[in-house]
Amino acid sequence: MAENKTTTTGENNLLLVENLSVTVRNSGKKLIQNLNFSIPKGEIFGLVGESGSGKSLTATVILGMLSKSLEVTSGTVKLGQSEITSLSEKELRNIRGHDSAYLSQNYQSFFTPFIKVGKQFIEIIRCHTNMSRKEAKKVAIHWLNRVHLPAERVFNSYPDELSGGQLQRASIASAIMFRPKLIIADEPTTALDVLTGERILDLLCELKEELNCSILLISHDLRHIINRTQTVGVMYGGQIVEIGKTSAVVADPIHPYTNLLLQSRLKLSNQPPLELQTMLGEPGLIAEEGCPFSKRCPSVMKSCSNLVPMNSIGTHHSAACHLVKAEREERYVTH
Amino acid sequence: MNIQMPRINQIPFFFKKQNLLIQCGIIFFIIIILITLIGPFIVPNDPFTANMSERLSPPSSVYPLGTDHMGRCIFSRLIVGAQSTLGITALVVVTVALIGIPIGLVIGYIGGRLDTVFMRLADGILALPEFILAIAIAGFLGPSLTNLMISIVFVKWIAYTRVVRSIVISERNKDYVLAAKVGGSSSWKIIRRHMFPQVVSPVLVLATLDIGKVILTISSLSYLGLGAQPPAPEWGAMLNDGRPYFQSAPELMIYPGLAIFFVVLAFNLMGEGLRDKWDVKSR
Amino acid sequence: MLHINSISKTYHSKPALSDISLTVQPSESIGIIGESGSGKSTLGKIILGLEKPDQGDVHFRGSNLHTLKGQAIKALRRHLQIVFQDPAGSLNPKLPVWKSVVEPLENYPDVIPSFLNEVRHDRKKMAEVLFQKVGLSPELLERYPHQLSGGQKQRIAVARGISLEPDLLVCDEPTSSLDVSVQAQVLNLLKKLQRDLNLSFLFISHDIAAVQFMCERIVVLKEGLVVDSFLTKDLFSQSRHPYTKLLVEMSMDQEYK
Repeated sequence: MAENKTTTTGENNLLLVENLSVTVRNSGKKLIQNLNFSIPKGEIFGLVGESGSGKSLTATVILGMLSKSLEVTSGTVKLGQSEITSLSEKELRNIRGHDSAYLSQNYQSFFTPFIKVGKQFIEIIRCHTNMSRKEAKKVAIHWLNRVHLPAERVFNSYPDELSGGQLQRASIASAIMFRPKLIIADEPTTALDVLTGERILDLLCELKEELNCSILLISHDLRHIINRTQTVGVMYGGQIVEIGKTSAVVADPIHPYTNLLLQSRLKLSNQPPLELQTMLGEPGLIAEEGCPFSKRCPSVMKSCSNLVPMNSIGTHHSAACHLVKAEREERYVTH
Repeated sequence: MNIQMPRINQIPFFFKKQNLLIQCGIIFFIIIILITLIGPFIVPNDPFTANMSERLSPPSSVYPLGTDHMGRCIFSRLIVGAQSTLGITALVVVTVALIGIPIGLVIGYIGGRLDTVFMRLADGILALPEFILAIAIAGFLGPSLTNLMISIVFVKWIAYTRVVRSIVISERNKDYVLAAKVGGSSSWKIIRRHMFPQVVSPVLVLATLDIGKVILTISSLSYLGLGAQPPAPEWGAMLNDGRPYFQSAPELMIYPGLAIFFVVLAFNLMGEGLRDKWDVKSR
Repeated sequence: MLHINSISKTYHSKPALSDISLTVQPSESIGIIGESGSGKSTLGKIILGLEKPDQGDVHFRGSNLHTLKGQAIKALRRHLQIVFQDPAGSLNPKLPVWKSVVEPLENYPDVIPSFLNEVRHDRKKMAEVLFQKVGLSPELLERYPHQLSGGQKQRIAVARGISLEPDLLVCDEPTSSLDVSVQAQVLNLLKKLQRDLNLSFLFISHDIAAVQFMCERIVVLKEGLVVDSFLTKDLFSQSRHPYTKLLVEMSMDQEYK
């Protein structure tokens, strides 16, 4: 139904999400609707959106950690050769860690407080392999070095002796130890300072090259998305409203939400605006029918209350908005 | 996660399935209150009239639960006794809250040396076993209902003060209190306006759960002869009265025992229910 | 209007602020930039008189803020208000929000802000006018904080902040917990209010772009020290401190680098 050339074509896809919908088991309320996107090998894909957009929920589905009160009502999530939504808990556990890894913004609660970091690393390693403690320590030290930490010192520290940046690095080390094919980074820098956050992202990009893995970067910070990702999906109210090459989406946003999001954000410039562009209402305002953004949209029309299909504008860019057609015509006329 | 969870359901609190227990508690509670209020006017017999010719008689149409060792109607005594047992309990709990809450609010909010001194004092009192202390005080002041109440209040207020104090300490540095300070509110106003509402529901839960305990304490001390004096119908005292006849007429102790059991159960159920509702543990 | 003379503050034998001096002129907006642990929030609390500096003093409208007592400090505080970072924590969860908004006005019955001239006798009406000033519907007056969105709560906190028509409004990361689209709304609101009410602003933030948007002058704090202080229009000047340059570079989009 939602035809989308950018996301479903391509043989090299590591992750393929098709028509994914998630609802609340009891009430039938839809939290995610018809999500379509794919992440090619070695690429950073960004999901951007405000609170309630369903971006973190998407991550939990990919990790197979969906809460019991929610259910996947349609669609498939394919990671490598495995179909995540049909796997058992045991198989999923094997995939997490080996094929996919998760980085959260709560790096503080990643490590248990009263056990030394090193001991926790050894535990994780020995959970997944048959190594002896000595071998496991070697592996742990190796990976701690890889994330540019003073390995021996961190290994022998308690979590509260480390700074936020160091903890996030250590949690990255533990996430990548088994060379995952996909790293899901859910707001990895939100709780960190600007400089520390940038360095964490630098590290992730560097590791991506070394391990040749893909990254799903979930963020509300457009700057990170613009600076770091190749492809971006903009989410609102549980749907992807615009998706495409980051450069194309940023340069030429079609969906009014993307457009307003880009304009209302703060950015440094030689001529800061006197007033920021704003959009009506708050992120909780989601239309149940049709385009989820229609209640806040400045260019809303009648047909927005019906389902708006994804329309592509150019090969690497599509949006679920009527404006796509207008844009196409305009291009046709001008060229 | 950033998902807005939908409201689980909109059914009023009282009718929710998981609140079956608290419903039972509330129904018990209403029955108990009704009995306490109108009971004395509808009892079949005078609870004080002894009729030695009919002592220890089995249940009959005149004496629904039989008579005790003095030939008094057990049913009537139970009903009238509810008033004194519950009345004293309510008085104790209210007094305890009235003393404990203000002290806790002030100590918690002002903190510093005052707090330290108080806490050491509290530790001292709490180090003594509650029950023994009550016995000691009741023994020292002489056995009477008033002295019994004084002794229970003396031990209990500290628990309330501690709960209130700990809530106040966790709240007093929150931004909304700072904002009130910046807005020119006096300490008195902050305590009254901002701290007091935070402690109301936890104290209510504590009090409801405590009522059960206080009833037991009053009854136990009365049983030991330190509370209500004969011939007053008080459940604990009735237990005490029935003790010599335990072998021959166990119902003398069984009925007041059951009465205590059900009342304590009702208040505990309510307390648990309220606690779940207000989620006091998460504070 | 506000003079801070070389104040220092130590927490648990770690210096949080060392030798900070700062002057704020009437109706000037100053941005304080710093990462966590730079002491920027401590500075805010000292300026509000919520904390005492170990050394140095703060003069506000000609009086030493930390030596005054009783009525004198209360009279001075009236001109000094705050908007906190976390809108959920800065409103009493057990009070309907309009009561939080008018609380400062209750404490200063003699103060009659220009915009409340007509309704000063009626608390509810005052709340209504203040709600209007921050763009909130009067329907929300009776709500409790948990029934409102983050942006609405922050607008209410702003309404309380301006209720006494203060001279100086300290904003401690007022938008960093809000969504992008809401952040823009609240920042526009703050900027408009500053203009309309002729407020001075002390805008504390880690986001250099927010400060550039809001302020005329910027002070950069690092580990309790002022490392740089300049007019906003000189933000990109070559003479900036290396730390400032680094912050700027990190906050840029790739395309501009």
